[in-house]
Amino acid sequence: MTPGTLRLTGFVAFGLFAVLVFVLPGWISDFRAQQFAYVGIYLIALLGLNILTGYTGQISLGHGAFMAIGGYTTALLMAGNEQFGQEGLLGIGGGMKDVWTIPIAGIVAGLFGLAFGLPALRLSGLYLALATFAIAVAMPSVVKRFEEFSGGGSGVNLFGLPELTAGIVPVEIAGQELVFNDWLYYLCWSIALVSFAVAWLILRGRTGRAFRAVRDSETAAVSSGVSLARYKTLAFGISAAYAGVAGSLFAIATTFVNPDTFPIALSIFLLVGVVVGGLGGLSGLVVGAIFIQFLPLWAQGEGVASRLPDAVVDRTKEPGAPAIIYGIVLILLMFFLPNGVGGLFRRAGQTLTRWRYSRTS
Amino acid sequence: MRRQSALVAIAAVCALALGALPGAFAGSSADPGITSTSIVLGGTSPLTGPAAAYASVARGAKAYLDSVNARGGVAKRKFEYKIVDDAYNPAQSIQATRQLVEQDKVFAVFNSLGTEQNTAVREYLNQTKVPQLFVASGATTWGRDAAKYPWTIGFQPSYQAEGWVYGQYVSKTLKKAKIAVLLQNDDYGKDLLAGLKRGLGRSGSKVVAAESYEVTAPDVQSQVAKLKSSGANVFAIFATPKFAIQAFVYANRLAWRPRIINNSVSGASNIMLLASEGGKNKSLEGAISLNFLKEPTDPKWKNDPGMKTYRSVMGKYAKGSNVSDVYHVYGMAVAFETVSLFKRLGANPTRAGLLARARSITSPANPFLLPGIAVRTGKGDNFPIQQGQLQRWTKGKWVPFGGLWESNRL
Repeated sequence: MTPGTLRLTGFVAFGLFAVLVFVLPGWISDFRAQQFAYVGIYLIALLGLNILTGYTGQISLGHGAFMAIGGYTTALLMAGNEQFGQEGLLGIGGGMKDVWTIPIAGIVAGLFGLAFGLPALRLSGLYLALATFAIAVAMPSVVKRFEEFSGGGSGVNLFGLPELTAGIVPVEIAGQELVFNDWLYYLCWSIALVSFAVAWLILRGRTGRAFRAVRDSETAAVSSGVSLARYKTLAFGISAAYAGVAGSLFAIATTFVNPDTFPIALSIFLLVGVVVGGLGGLSGLVVGAIFIQFLPLWAQGEGVASRLPDAVVDRTKEPGAPAIIYGIVLILLMFFLPNGVGGLFRRAGQTLTRWRYSRTS
Repeated sequence: MRRQSALVAIAAVCALALGALPGAFAGSSADPGITSTSIVLGGTSPLTGPAAAYASVARGAKAYLDSVNARGGVAKRKFEYKIVDDAYNPAQSIQATRQLVEQDKVFAVFNSLGTEQNTAVREYLNQTKVPQLFVASGATTWGRDAAKYPWTIGFQPSYQAEGWVYGQYVSKTLKKAKIAVLLQNDDYGKDLLAGLKRGLGRSGSKVVAAESYEVTAPDVQSQVAKLKSSGANVFAIFATPKFAIQAFVYANRLAWRPRIINNSVSGASNIMLLASEGGKNKSLEGAISLNFLKEPTDPKWKNDPGMKTYRSVMGKYAKGSNVSDVYHVYGMAVAFETVSLFKRLGANPTRAGLLARARSITSPANPFLLPGIAVRTGKGDNFPIQQGQLQRWTKGKWVPFGGLWESNRL
């Protein structure tokens, strides 16, 4: 196939996928639509993370924190923080419609990403992974420390706010009445598809080439005139902006944020999603997003138990069993589908195994 | 939309008032989750995560409901109780609760555990008018804010009341006690501390130090060290089991020997035995705690009919679980109360009717609660249980002392 037909195939596949996404809610229950909305949200976060990790070669174990920044931006713009006693410069009155907070959340998280990209320039490999992990670890405490600003551990509840486009009362769009879950589905997936296209546009040209050059060999990239500082911080910024948008949608979909909404586990799941989806590729990320949304649910539900021998079934009902099933599936998947993931995966995989081990033991 | 939610609230109040009239809703059993053969209940529980010790609450309730089903259920309806893991994470509680309401179509959300976890879904459940029945948390807000959230009701004594009892006890038995408090950084911990301060009143005793921890934190070692350095002679542990155990262990390692108050949510004997490190940790001796349940390890209940039921139900419907875990007793107590609610609901139970009944309980004795403790709600009283008894950890087990404490206003 020539590059031309290859690209055409890509366009057709994307178009077909968009059509599938559009008609899917007709076949599934209202509640499933909500679960698929989360798939869209994870897809956005994974796209961003893959720009950073898969294309630029910078590991991040802290993307949950950037999602938190996006989520809190949306929550505070909608609900305000004066209710918690915050006054003065940082007092936010709230009252912004949910959809308008999404781009702002992306920008705010993107700025944080750029700012973090600067110190991250000095770090690479494991050290960068640890530094980003530190943000994810510190985030809940920081949020709780500034209780008047953020609402503290109790979080911010958005349910029932007039700023939410759809609540118990369905929303009407172009003559169609959409219940909350369907509205969420379409909102998340239209943004996800646009994000996908934007990611493709960023990566196909000069910027994308520079990213890949940085990933493959920093020395070679510098000698070809690629500014490391510029492209690494840019990758962090773009990636964090994607995470911010995802976090914003997460807040709208869950109608609630608190520090535990974005736990350390989320950051790790995102990396798992990227690895499962395939580093350095975009379309596989849809599978990665489905994986992180549905595998934990599947491991917990009846789906597993009914397919196992009776002697094992009782064990699957014990607490902790879903986590073990999840781990086993993940290991098998990585074993049979390494998906061309090279040294980078080995590094992330070691960190990951260690984390899982310490959690289940 | 503001006006709409006001209308919804008015409608809810009217529906409640109607439900209170016996038979007013008869024949209109259109609520989801109930058929002529089944009642579907659902709740979230920390089956995994930092509070996994509380999974027993749901397990005990499920075992009891299963035993009721085996005896034919209530009015030929059998209970189906769906337990979903939320790992003690409020964001997961929301998704799990939505799944219960929207996919599993439960009649009522029941016995969901945790203060933050239940606060996170309260608005949702009240707006969708799904009962949030017998919340497994002692936050004061469940009873205090009943007018604002008519679809929500708690069960156990409130944390403020519990703290108040400790305060009263200290002010009556010790002179000029200096109290150091370890608390979980959320409404549960803060409620207990507020109650304690209130109970101390103007006595010479006071809280000299309070250190909080995050539920996601790995341990509380540094907090305990700081509290020790405050020079306190009373140590109040307002922490969930994992952290309470650590507090006992670290206090012992630091050779700190204060009088210890351990909150009831970590008061289970099996938790205490873990903290005692096989009897090596002597700091537990003399620790006090408030209790309202029959302690399964107490030989006093050997021939008690309630605890006989408890043991046989556990043997049949929760095989392999730890029978001496008092949280199973809690689960059975709450399930017993739920079953008797449904018994009094008549032929066509409705959600509104369920709530109306839950707000006018005059229960005969609940066999799993300490004798003398009544489950009562009514006009202006939205706290089902308001009594408890202090107990002292003596030679590896709890020994109750004094009479029942009661706090009506908390």
